[in-house]
Amino acid sequence: MTPRKKTDLLQGTLDMLVLQTLRLGPAHGYTIARVIGQRSDAFLQVEQGSLYPALNRLEDRGWVDSYWDISENNRRARFYRLTPKGRRQLQVETEEWERLVRAIGLVMRPVEE
Amino acid sequence: MRRFFRRGRLDAERAREMQTHIDHHVDDLVAAGYSRDRALKEARQRFGNPTAIREEIYEMNSVPVLEPIVRDLRYAFRMLRKTPGFTAIALITLAVGIGVNTAIFTVVNALLIKPLPFPDPGRLVTIQSTIRTPRGTFVRLSGLDGRTFKEIRDNVKTMAVAIQGSGGWGGGVNLVAENQAANVTQARVSAGYFKVFGIAPFIGREFTADEDRLGGPAVAVLSHGLWSRLFDRDASAVGKTIMLRGESYTVVGIMPAGFTTGSPTDVWTPVRPNTSGEGGGTNYSLYARVHPEVSVEQASAEMNQIVPPVLLPSDPKAAAETSITSAVVPLQSAETTELRSPLLMLWGAVGIVLVIACVNLAGLLIARTGLRSREIATRMALGSGRRAVIRQLLVESALLAFAGGIAGIGVGWLVLEGLKQLSTHVFDFGYPMALDGRVLATTLGIALVTSVLFGLAPAIYASRVNVQGSLSEAGTRSVAGGAGRWSRRILVVAEVALGVVLLVGAGLLVRSFVHLRSLNPGFDPSQVTTAVVSLQDKRYEDAVKVNQLFEESLARIRRTPGIEAAGISLGLPYTRLLNMGWRRIEGFDPNEKWLNSNVSYVTPGYMEALRLPLRRGRAFSERDRDGATPAAIVNEEFARRYYKGADIVGMHIRVAGAEREIVGIVGNARATSSGLGGDSGPLIVPYIIYVPAAQVDGAFLRQVHTWFSPAWIIRSSAPTGTVVETIRQAVAGVDPLLPIAKIESMAEVQSASLARQRFMMSLVTGLGVVALLLAAIGIHGLIASSVNERTRELGIRLALGATGRQVLMNVVMPGVTLSSIGVIVGCVAALALSQLMRSFIWGIQATDPMTFASVAAILLVVSLVASLIPALRVLRLDPALTLRAE
Repeated sequence: MTPRKKTDLLQGTLDMLVLQTLRLGPAHGYTIARVIGQRSDAFLQVEQGSLYPALNRLEDRGWVDSYWDISENNRRARFYRLTPKGRRQLQVETEEWERLVRAIGLVMRPVEE
Repeated sequence: MRRFFRRGRLDAERAREMQTHIDHHVDDLVAAGYSRDRALKEARQRFGNPTAIREEIYEMNSVPVLEPIVRDLRYAFRMLRKTPGFTAIALITLAVGIGVNTAIFTVVNALLIKPLPFPDPGRLVTIQSTIRTPRGTFVRLSGLDGRTFKEIRDNVKTMAVAIQGSGGWGGGVNLVAENQAANVTQARVSAGYFKVFGIAPFIGREFTADEDRLGGPAVAVLSHGLWSRLFDRDASAVGKTIMLRGESYTVVGIMPAGFTTGSPTDVWTPVRPNTSGEGGGTNYSLYARVHPEVSVEQASAEMNQIVPPVLLPSDPKAAAETSITSAVVPLQSAETTELRSPLLMLWGAVGIVLVIACVNLAGLLIARTGLRSREIATRMALGSGRRAVIRQLLVESALLAFAGGIAGIGVGWLVLEGLKQLSTHVFDFGYPMALDGRVLATTLGIALVTSVLFGLAPAIYASRVNVQGSLSEAGTRSVAGGAGRWSRRILVVAEVALGVVLLVGAGLLVRSFVHLRSLNPGFDPSQVTTAVVSLQDKRYEDAVKVNQLFEESLARIRRTPGIEAAGISLGLPYTRLLNMGWRRIEGFDPNEKWLNSNVSYVTPGYMEALRLPLRRGRAFSERDRDGATPAAIVNEEFARRYYKGADIVGMHIRVAGAEREIVGIVGNARATSSGLGGDSGPLIVPYIIYVPAAQVDGAFLRQVHTWFSPAWIIRSSAPTGTVVETIRQAVAGVDPLLPIAKIESMAEVQSASLARQRFMMSLVTGLGVVALLLAAIGIHGLIASSVNERTRELGIRLALGATGRQVLMNVVMPGVTLSSIGVIVGCVAALALSQLMRSFIWGIQATDPMTFASVAAILLVVSLVASLIPALRVLRLDPALTLRAE
């Protein structure tokens, strides 16, 4: 359905997006995917096939932890929340991202011919 | 890594989580106006394949190197659990083989391999002299007389030397300290003894040369254990006085905990070397430490200069015919000479059991891989590599070996504890014994080598399996089966042969033991109770006091109803006896000098109590006392050996401090081999002179009581408990401070004299039974798997009209044939090895045909039964079913 592959997102960007989303508060997988979609004006469609492996990876590295709770729709869902370690990681990644964007921006600025 | 082990649970959670994701999506879509069905379809489609995602996450949580091993292990566990029979038999086989081996190896290690627990143990030596005379060659190990020791002590330059006095046969000595009385073990040692062993008292000091001379101050060194018991570990014990054998001794030192020189000792006192009395015979054992800058060879050379001249006979003619060489030998090997051959034999027996266990395991593994050729072929057909298959089989046998090794350690511990129990009074193990690291490492090593060796060969073989062949042939004729069966046949033959060797050994020991048990004791041991009392006591240095004790206590015992007879003697039948010099009076030959004989003093009533038959003359009576003509009684063996069996009543001999008239000749009572006598073996017919207890002097009693203790011998039909109480009351009635060291029935004394033989026999027989069982398991396994493999063929035979009996014979015969071959091979091997058994058996030949025949018969019967059990399944085969099964 979505021909975009997960590799279309810059390597490691998804992790950053998930962490950023969780900065707003604990959320379960569906919310995370939806929030990323909404906040990007539906530009970024997170594929579940990469979201859950990413969550597994983030939890393995200790950047997020998870717990089971009742969702807004009254269903048992697994919620993820940012750990202090994850918060620091997000800081680092945000700074790096900004540097990257600035650098790409510099390269891509209009050239006067 | 954490997640690696929790993957299973995590995966289940993940599945639920994804389901919730889809549910949430459906909720949203329904809210947006979709129908429930469409919403579900849409959500699922958008989500993609949850299983694929889960697999990806599962993969993420794996560790690449560990993965296959854990999988193999898990698979191995499952396979072993699926075949509980095989697993149990293999584990038992391994555990028994390894366990028994560990236990015996622990003993061998502690006694023969592990260095003695002293500093620089390689320098600890003793002396060995070889004396060659025209009459024969004698080897004297460690034993010295006083003159030789003084010569060594005063001249030696290469070593520090010390001696220990002999003694301690027949109970401990009486000690009173801090208002407590105890029966303790005493050792008499020379000054410098502890220095030789390199261990100083941890409080106080050891003896000085001044204390270690005749008439020197009475001092004592206590063991840590005795010090703890008596003085509650109070350091002020040094300097205090203890009463030992009724004499006061000053404590000068305490030895550190755990100090032992091979036999448990509570108190050490100076030996005060002498050239007469104790020092007149070879009653001292030498211990020496070679000086650091000197080699053992130099020490030997020095001893060879000092010792031989002292040992040469004084008569120049005899001296010219005698050549003597002396040398030092390592203390460890000197102390274990007696134990070495029985221990090595046991080790050999245990080794055979281990080999049989390995052979059995190999057979089991081969059979198993044979049966699994189809499974292996399937796995290879599905793309599994040869390496993976071999690894899988190896992991399985390693797992088996490891589990077997662990179980083996448990069995080993049990066996070792049992050995310690069984061997009390049999082997004086002396030094502590526990399963140690070296033994455990060896054990696990054996287990792993066994598994790799016998797991690898079948594994490689199985991996060469012809995939197509074994799958298309419906698995009944596995390729591995053909050659595997051959190697299994050889293994079964080997197993049976080894079993025969072990059982022949066991059989010879049993027959020898039965022979020893059936030897005529020479007296009537039933209804006889004995009590040993140590008279190594200052208060009993006087002959009058000793005889007063004897007579009064005997009078009290005899007054008790139910007592048939009571007497006292120095030493008991079936124990070690005192030996002494004696001289002929009639026909005295000045060249003959002193002759040797066992000597015992006895009171009236002794012969009646034992029912020792009187052959000639008379027994001792109350009249044979101080003032009357000194008397002696000899036994038939004495008369036979020294007087060609003549009636010598009325002749005279000089023995035990007096010239005595022989008044009677009695029958022979057995004694243990450490005495002098005819009939070689552990039980001998001693030649012995009995003298009346009332006709020996205080000096004689003092000397003999250092080594031997008198025994009260009571014949009564009353229950043993009553008799024991009678003896206690009688002795306490005369001297309440005199403890009884040991009370035993004569039957117990008799049985203790064969304790070592019984120990060896039980152990080797036990091992033989284990070997027999293992061999039976091996044969059973072979026949059972051949029945399994041939089910189809046997079904066809039955269908074509073969009778059940014919088919049965066809299946059983290989087992019987193989074990017959094994029995023949085993008998030949046992015949070759039986010469090694010679020093352990008496009364039968090492080639005893009776033993060989019964062992062969037992093995054939057992193998027939072991073959029949699985073969009987053939009779229950339904030909139609077996043919249709594939």
